[in-house]
Amino acid sequence: MTAISSKICIVGDFAVGKTSVVERFVNNHFSDKYLSTVGVKIDTREIELADIGVLHKLVIWDVAGSESFGDKEFAYLRGAAGYIFVADGTRPMTLGSAVKLQSQIVDRFGNTPAVILVNKRDMTHEWSASDERLAKLQEQFDSVYRTSAKTGEEVGSAMARLSRLIINKEVRAQ
Amino acid sequence: MDLPPIVIGYLQGSFLERTRPFCLLLDADYRLIGSWGEGDWSGIGALPVGEDVRDSVPFLVGTDLGERQAFDFMELPSGAIASVHVVPSHGECYVVLLDVHGDHAAIQTRQQSVNESLLMQARQQRLISRQRELIGELVETKSALDHHRREAERVSENKSRFIAMMSHEFRTPLSSIINYGELALEKDSSENDVRKYVETMSRSARHLADLVEAVLDDASLDAGQTELVNAEFDLFRLLDDIGAMMAPMAAEKGLSFVIRLDDDVPSRVHADEIRLRQILINLLGNAVKFTVEGSVELLVAYNEGRLVITISDTGPGISLENQERVFRAFERGTQKRAKGAGLGLSITLQLVKLMGGEVSLDSAPGEGCTVSVHLPAVPGAMDREEQVSALPTPSRVMHAEKPTSVLICDDDDDVIALVEHYLHRSGYGLISSNDAGEAIDKALKYDPDLVLMDCNLPGVGGVAAARRLREQGYAKPIVALTASRLTSAEQDVFSCFFRKPAPMNDLLSEIKRLTHSL
Repeated sequence: MTAISSKICIVGDFAVGKTSVVERFVNNHFSDKYLSTVGVKIDTREIELADIGVLHKLVIWDVAGSESFGDKEFAYLRGAAGYIFVADGTRPMTLGSAVKLQSQIVDRFGNTPAVILVNKRDMTHEWSASDERLAKLQEQFDSVYRTSAKTGEEVGSAMARLSRLIINKEVRAQ
Repeated sequence: MDLPPIVIGYLQGSFLERTRPFCLLLDADYRLIGSWGEGDWSGIGALPVGEDVRDSVPFLVGTDLGERQAFDFMELPSGAIASVHVVPSHGECYVVLLDVHGDHAAIQTRQQSVNESLLMQARQQRLISRQRELIGELVETKSALDHHRREAERVSENKSRFIAMMSHEFRTPLSSIINYGELALEKDSSENDVRKYVETMSRSARHLADLVEAVLDDASLDAGQTELVNAEFDLFRLLDDIGAMMAPMAAEKGLSFVIRLDDDVPSRVHADEIRLRQILINLLGNAVKFTVEGSVELLVAYNEGRLVITISDTGPGISLENQERVFRAFERGTQKRAKGAGLGLSITLQLVKLMGGEVSLDSAPGEGCTVSVHLPAVPGAMDREEQVSALPTPSRVMHAEKPTSVLICDDDDDVIALVEHYLHRSGYGLISSNDAGEAIDKALKYDPDLVLMDCNLPGVGGVAAARRLREQGYAKPIVALTASRLTSAEQDVFSCFFRKPAPMNDLLSEIKRLTHSL
């Protein structure tokens, strides 16, 4: 099995659940307590893509929440093979932030595999991301997922999808 | 930097003590050349010289060693907080990690507080929006409740007026029927007296039937259950009928009665004849009823696909404040002593609306009253001359030579007895039945010239029985005589229909017409 390592960055507005998504993905754990990320947090997890014989190690850069990037944030993003954008389904404004961040990344680094996670799906009463709005996101991102870091809904699928996109791109580039 | 060497030395010592630098020297392929400092705090274990260190130092994956970079705060997988500096030098690269957990903790506390405050503001904003939505919903609900309350008050008001009207208008003829009936049964009543009593009872019963009809009509219109039956008909003949009905009533009161017709009024129109007749009778009946002297005039014009009907009288007139009230159910304006349910104008207004038209009223006390009705009516396909030539010539009318037979089906023996009495007197042969199934059998067996069918029968209903008769080949007229309302689809099953209590003379004429045309 071929081992491949890739740097991926997880970005989005503050308090959308980026660190919780990573915590769910890496340690299968969730905490209700909000802890703001300062700078960047590094974690890793391997995904086995058995059908193509690849053991894919994702080095995840969990970047502090921001609605737009400056030089300091771009330093964190440099060299990333893919991006996880996270928005909060109970705060529609954060969808706008994700779109804006994605546009900044494309301007700076060109097209890179990117999926968006519209998180906090478990908060059904406060959910306000309309289906129409989410359908529109399909035009800007490779995939759109309605996720819950709390229940784990769709988190693994989204990560696996990004992994597959990165490997496919690398294979095409070789 | 221009500082005394002793100060520089002090600061360097202080910085190095606080940040505990850990330095790696890597070649371009991330292989370790050497390391300096104490790295235990970073969680990065012992690194073998000559090996690729990216597995143990994962943040190096994707990090370009050929470019000077600095990452202020990086939380490593071990939980350690480092400030990481990448310093390329002659094809090799120094990677320096400084322990900055103290600074990180202070910044995180500050940032956390700012973010929580922003989240709180966002939550407050959402609550304010929700509160606005709820206030909006509350206003809408209140408005809907007000509407329902007003509607309920209107219904309650109508009900009160209805009960008041019932107690007077219904009791008067009922009391007359009951009392004169008792008088007629007294042994010492002469034949002349009995005849007088029965005439009064008959008049009262007819009045009562009209009242019931009006109340039911109003209820049906109110419930939206009234269906229009649009067809082509002879408008001139309808106006002749109306004239023949109203002129004697007007003459009896010494009023002149005139019908004027504009030249461009089509002789035949496509509309609901029965409802138009009802509208004209209601409006003209009121005009004649309330006018003491002078005239009543009906003017019919035609303008842009609409019949324009204007009824003017020289009656007492209606004040502006009463003009809206007179169109409400069970209202009789100021004419409290007038006979009737106070439904005529309400029914008229509802019928006109149902037919897609409008009513307007122009009146003032002492100046008479003019009611205008605008009704959509498509001109008929046949003109009057064609219609006249299409009438059957006398030679086409056949007369029955043998006694005509009629089958009567009704579950009420009194109704059968009454109808039998009239038909027998007119020379008809009779077959009767209380049951629709039995009536079907008898009709197929004896082939009567006409079937007179009640509709609300136990078991097989009258409408179903009529359909079954048609399916089994019975082709002669079937007439409905029913107290129920028939839908237009149900009406189509019958040759014609009469609502109970039907005037016997009208029923006989129709039976005669239908059986003679066989």
